[in-house]
Amino acid sequence: MFLTRSEYDRGVSTFSPEGRLFQVEYSLEAIKLGSTAVGIKTKDGVILGVEKRANSKLMESGSINKIEEIEKHIGCAFSGLTADARMMIDHARVEATNHAFNYDEPTSVETLTQSVCDLALRFGESGEGQERVMSRPFGVALLIAGYDERLGPQLYHTEPTGTFYMYDAKAIGSGSEGAQAELQQKYYSNMTMAEAEILLLKVLKQVMEEKLEAKNVQLAKVTKEGFQLYTTEELEKLVADLPADVDQDELAELS
Amino acid sequence: MSNPSEINGGSAVAMIGKDCVAIACDLRLGLQSVTVSGDFEKIFQYGGNFVAFTGLATDVQTVSTELRQKHALYEMVEERSMEPNTAAHLVSSMLYSRRFAPWFVGPLVAGINSTTGEPYVCSFDSIGSMDVSHDFVVTGTATNQLYGMAESLYEKDMSPEQLFETISQTLLCAADRDAITGSGGLVYVIEKNGKVTKKLLKSRQD
Amino acid sequence: MSRFNPYGDSSGGSSLAIAGADFAILAGDTRHSTGFSIDSRDQSQIADLGDGLFLTSNGFSADAKQLVDDLRTQIKWYHHNNNDHKLSISAAARTTMMLLYGKRFFPYYVNPIMIGMADDGTGAVYSFDPLGSYDREPSRAAGHASELLMPFLDNQVTFANQLDPQTGEPRKRLDLDLQTAVDLVKDAFTGAAERQVQVGDTLEIVILTKDGVDRQYYDLRRD
Repeated sequence: MFLTRSEYDRGVSTFSPEGRLFQVEYSLEAIKLGSTAVGIKTKDGVILGVEKRANSKLMESGSINKIEEIEKHIGCAFSGLTADARMMIDHARVEATNHAFNYDEPTSVETLTQSVCDLALRFGESGEGQERVMSRPFGVALLIAGYDERLGPQLYHTEPTGTFYMYDAKAIGSGSEGAQAELQQKYYSNMTMAEAEILLLKVLKQVMEEKLEAKNVQLAKVTKEGFQLYTTEELEKLVADLPADVDQDELAELS
Repeated sequence: MSNPSEINGGSAVAMIGKDCVAIACDLRLGLQSVTVSGDFEKIFQYGGNFVAFTGLATDVQTVSTELRQKHALYEMVEERSMEPNTAAHLVSSMLYSRRFAPWFVGPLVAGINSTTGEPYVCSFDSIGSMDVSHDFVVTGTATNQLYGMAESLYEKDMSPEQLFETISQTLLCAADRDAITGSGGLVYVIEKNGKVTKKLLKSRQD
Repeated sequence: MSRFNPYGDSSGGSSLAIAGADFAILAGDTRHSTGFSIDSRDQSQIADLGDGLFLTSNGFSADAKQLVDDLRTQIKWYHHNNNDHKLSISAAARTTMMLLYGKRFFPYYVNPIMIGMADDGTGAVYSFDPLGSYDREPSRAAGHASELLMPFLDNQVTFANQLDPQTGEPRKRLDLDLQTAVDLVKDAFTGAAERQVQVGDTLEIVILTKDGVDRQYYDLRRD
């Protein structure tokens, strides 16, 4: 198996005999190394949250940015290679402003997500008339949160494969498995924004190695009013007010 | 600058009502896009006849003055007042006398025949071709706009009050869509009983 | 030595649009002419673009037709790229601008007018110059009789120069009802056909409301 693989995982645009593109599959692994990012949709808006992993105590946590605004009504959290995310976000911003210029209306969140995914397969050898952007697939996954007049609040997940799906709640990155299982259990569709804030922080807290603090998380929301990052003060208050969760295992032990 | 009739700008309109006529003009005098004056009246009274001249301002002044002389002479020699149709023919022959070096004016004549009591309006081209109308006549740089307004607002047998309102709206709205016509308006309503009402219209000054 | 002139004078007569609180009207005569020759007495100049949008483009007919084709293509692509969503009139107007300005140095020789229902349910009229400059307006006329029609619309749709008899203040704008607006359109065109030789034959009126589209035809003078 390993041998077969090594023959076909050099060329980024060569299928293996089993019909797999190994480099693309490996790119999904790169995402799993990234810090956890979570998105939750409610009827009033979408919340994005990420953990900020500082490699060193001397590192300024404020310089870590894993949530970005794309347009007034669209924001994006990511996990994986930050530099790749920057390229995609730049592209998304160009597409969003182009749409606004061409149609005098904000782009729909789905259209914007699609245009980001159009980038995903621009690697390998360039086709006729197509610009080659990357020598390899992107190593990043995005959670795109947005609000538009047509569908209201929306949350999309994009992968380096170029596919995207719409979610009620989604987690990506290193802690995604545990976080997704937790979301699966705790999410309900008529959640308020305040309840979603708490759920999101609880989920992050569970999968984070460090203790949850205002300085090692980043939160943002997209509502009818647009994209907004949470300020440090808002985060401090949220973290302080977070109900102390009774650990399930402890509970089991007690009974 | 190439068309002498459109250097100074200005328009006029005349309408027939029931036992009355009305004639109206704008008050603008300009040099192409620059407005020089906002009280340049283009209607001149010759006894019971009212004549509007639009076109090149210098010719408006020359022809209106020359017509004053000819009208005075006529009344002295003939010892009677001049009827509107006579005034119209006089204007026509004056203009045609300059067939090959025309005055750049577009006159209108309005009046009521003192013997028959018939209202009379007539328009001309710059070389004197007469167009006697049974409803309304227009002239000037806002000709098209005036036609559009008059065609849709005009009705037969209007009273002096209705006629005043109609001709005023016709002039004002037409002037607003012509950059070199406007700066207010002037309306005369002439009734069969000899009553003449002169009214100034305020309008937008741009 | 004569040079090829890419523009001709083949054109439709005139068109006119009025926007109301819950309707929009687009009307045009069906006479088509080249110079003083009449090419057709029943050539519709109102194009149905789909998505509840209607367009007239007075000026050079060949360019007008090309513009309509361009717009239909754009709308099709918009549907492909945006999950089949309807192109709103404001977006369609911007698209038209982009098409026109895209030919800034070899312009389409046309004055387009577009109608549709705006997102808030009000009737919308957008008008353009040949290079793409555009605006939403209460009413607009274009074509051979535009100079005749426009002051009349100012007067009767926006009440320009009208004073309230009671107060002496400028008469307040009120939203026209549909029948009044249709009657205005007929009156305006009857007058225009009287004085403009390129205008006449039949008046075609497209009436847009939230319930759909209604087409009416009305005879004009044929000489």
